[in-house]
Amino acid sequence: MTRPRLSSSPILYLLNLIYFLYLISVPAKLAAQVTNDQLLNSSASPANWLQYSATYDGHRFSSLSQINRENVSQLTAQWVFQTSTPGFFENSPLVVDGIMYVTGPENIAFALDARTGRRLWSYKRVLPEKIRACCGHTNRGFAILGSRLFMATLDAHVVALDSATGNVLWDVQAADYAQGYAFTVAPLIIKDKVIVGVSGGEYGIRGFIDAYDTATGKRAWRFYTVPAPGEPGSDSWPSADSAARGGAPAWVTGTYDPQLNLLYWPTGNPAPSDDGSKRKGENLYSNSILALNPDTGKLQWHFQFTPFDLHDWDATEVPVLLDADLDGKPRKLLLHADRNGFFYVLDRTNGKFLFAKPYATQNWAKAIDPSGKPIVLPSALPTEDGVRVCPGAAGATNWMSPTYSPQTSLLYVSVREQCDIFYAHPQQFVTGRIFIGSTYMPVSKEKDWGAVRAIDPKTGEVRWEYKEYSATWAGNLSTAGHLVFTGDVDGYLIALDADTGKPMWHIQTGAAIYAAPITYELNGRQYVAISSGTTLLTFALPGTN
Amino acid sequence: MNFFYLFFLLSFNLSSPLLQQEKSASSSALSAETIESGKSNFRVNCSYCHGIAANGGFRAPSLVSGHFSHGSSDDSILDNILHGIPGTAMPANDIDEPTAREIIAYLRSLQKTSQPSATGNPEAGRKLFFGAAACAQCHMVQGHGGRFGPDLSRVGAMRPREYLIESIREPDAQLTERFVAVDFGTNPPTYELVTITTGQGTVFSGVVLNEDTFSLQFMDDREKIHSWQKSELKSVVREKRSPMPKYDTQQLSSAQLDDLIAYLTSLRGDSK
Repeated sequence: MTRPRLSSSPILYLLNLIYFLYLISVPAKLAAQVTNDQLLNSSASPANWLQYSATYDGHRFSSLSQINRENVSQLTAQWVFQTSTPGFFENSPLVVDGIMYVTGPENIAFALDARTGRRLWSYKRVLPEKIRACCGHTNRGFAILGSRLFMATLDAHVVALDSATGNVLWDVQAADYAQGYAFTVAPLIIKDKVIVGVSGGEYGIRGFIDAYDTATGKRAWRFYTVPAPGEPGSDSWPSADSAARGGAPAWVTGTYDPQLNLLYWPTGNPAPSDDGSKRKGENLYSNSILALNPDTGKLQWHFQFTPFDLHDWDATEVPVLLDADLDGKPRKLLLHADRNGFFYVLDRTNGKFLFAKPYATQNWAKAIDPSGKPIVLPSALPTEDGVRVCPGAAGATNWMSPTYSPQTSLLYVSVREQCDIFYAHPQQFVTGRIFIGSTYMPVSKEKDWGAVRAIDPKTGEVRWEYKEYSATWAGNLSTAGHLVFTGDVDGYLIALDADTGKPMWHIQTGAAIYAAPITYELNGRQYVAISSGTTLLTFALPGTN
Repeated sequence: MNFFYLFFLLSFNLSSPLLQQEKSASSSALSAETIESGKSNFRVNCSYCHGIAANGGFRAPSLVSGHFSHGSSDDSILDNILHGIPGTAMPANDIDEPTAREIIAYLRSLQKTSQPSATGNPEAGRKLFFGAAACAQCHMVQGHGGRFGPDLSRVGAMRPREYLIESIREPDAQLTERFVAVDFGTNPPTYELVTITTGQGTVFSGVVLNEDTFSLQFMDDREKIHSWQKSELKSVVREKRSPMPKYDTQQLSSAQLDDLIAYLTSLRGDSK
């Protein structure tokens, strides 16, 4: 860097002064400053991607339209970022003022120049040898407030990093990883708190959702997703023992309604997932949406999708918030396509069930009754010899983010068409060991397949379907370019016409996609980014990068 | 639970074991309770690869014969369960020794009911394989033979005798099982006969090597590899049967079958 020299010429002096001001403005660009107001109005700054689901309502919609269905066929790779850490990205990166913040497997993290993919800093957590995260040592992303990034770790800590350097600002332990507690979730910022939910439903943990002070790391509140003896809901467990290891993890990021001041957070399976013989009851608050006061952690209401679950159907799907007219009345709705194969619409002011409709193949429930409870078919109960149940344990959908487009008024959901054989066989609980009570297997000779389905949130009707050869693990993004971006397990990043589902463009990325696309704008160009394997790729229309 | 947790414990390469006929030092006086607990823990920890009844799955061998390629004594099996088998898909398992011993007790209980080994002559079987029965036209063993069918260099470690007999007498009875997204984005061949008609009207018979929403990779019955975009094809017909001919008693007598089975069960990946 050249220091500006003072010159006798006033014009040169002025030019030097401008240059000097430009130089000192560069470090300011590096230190991201994200305010609560910006988070509340994320949709107003589509050049950035400020939170896991883009906006508090979970729409994962961007108003950017430079890339649209007319020109999407010209999309071109801009840069590719690779890591050498085994595992794969399941993340949703953040982008703030031209810098991308990415987390990866084994709690690695990076700040990248969003224009070139060049690394600004990297972070690697030293993890204990025996992490108990059942389903891959993944991480789904950062949250940001001010110049602080927040990450929840596989050894059940929450850490704050300086966004300019990656330095650790604070690091607090939430739980004991040796007992099966872990974090894979991307945190959510509400006001001065960072909210996280725990993983570990396969280890007989007692699930919880935590809030920490963003400045100090001090825990502000904890909500246990399985009630203690004597608390409301505790009678949904047959014994204190069964509740103490009842699971109900909370491993997917929730959403937030600032007007109602309610945090909506989904929970996962009761433990052990495939054997209910020692947990007869509804097993609250497993497989539920919890509406919490984000200031206190107090439960305002709950809705349980699959009581007494025997098929591992976590409700850990991003709850989508929508204000819309239903039956002629303006309503505050919560949309939820559940792993159990039904699409639900709730009144999010009070948790009242409005309607449910299957959006995928299911053979376990006769119907959902008017109160929202499933009428379970006896033929779906796991047996010693195994029964074929649809959806399979991975569900009709899973953590893959849905997206809602205000342009089309449709909700786009990743769907898995796959059934499993479920076996029951009671299993002894041992602290820190896998505790699922038997197992399940894919049905041989039945090829799994996938889809993106466009659901009308007012009726639950599927308006169109884009079929995929294999059951998908990728999430979705919708944009004002009349496009839906998705991925598939065979490695394709795909752009669909948001109105019809017609595939408009695709590219083979070289590995299965377990993440959801994001979009951002930099120097007047719109980018689409996707993680694939341990690689992150970006695309834009032809032009100078 | 998230999904297919066991996949993450595995690498998907196959082992190349050496058959060691060790005298099995099975524990005596196993209680029904121990076996039951072993069964439960087998289902949770092992069944995804070894099959729900331990008789072999897509990625791991049958465990019911009493002959284990990496040591048949209780201590060898214990060591393999706890620490894994280097160079194979068998991972180290995070379970304690008493649990592992219960699993071994369960496996021993299955042994009593398993079928006896083949009685035929493996050398005569080898001659049939590479000669009159023409198996080697499509199948390869230790680098010799055709490419159109599955390589059988270690089929003896992977499949029980009954399965092999069925595959020869009734090749259409069960096509190779396909597991969901087993190795993340490749769809392993099922060896189902597929007939392709291209846009120009050319017809090919063969097996699919890989496939996705947009494209298809294919080996025809002359071992020629093709790559097509599905949009270029007029039709893809899955015939729901194996390309392998059916060997009834006319083609292969019971005695010949015994010899062939003796040869196939001896194939455990070791060079000869």
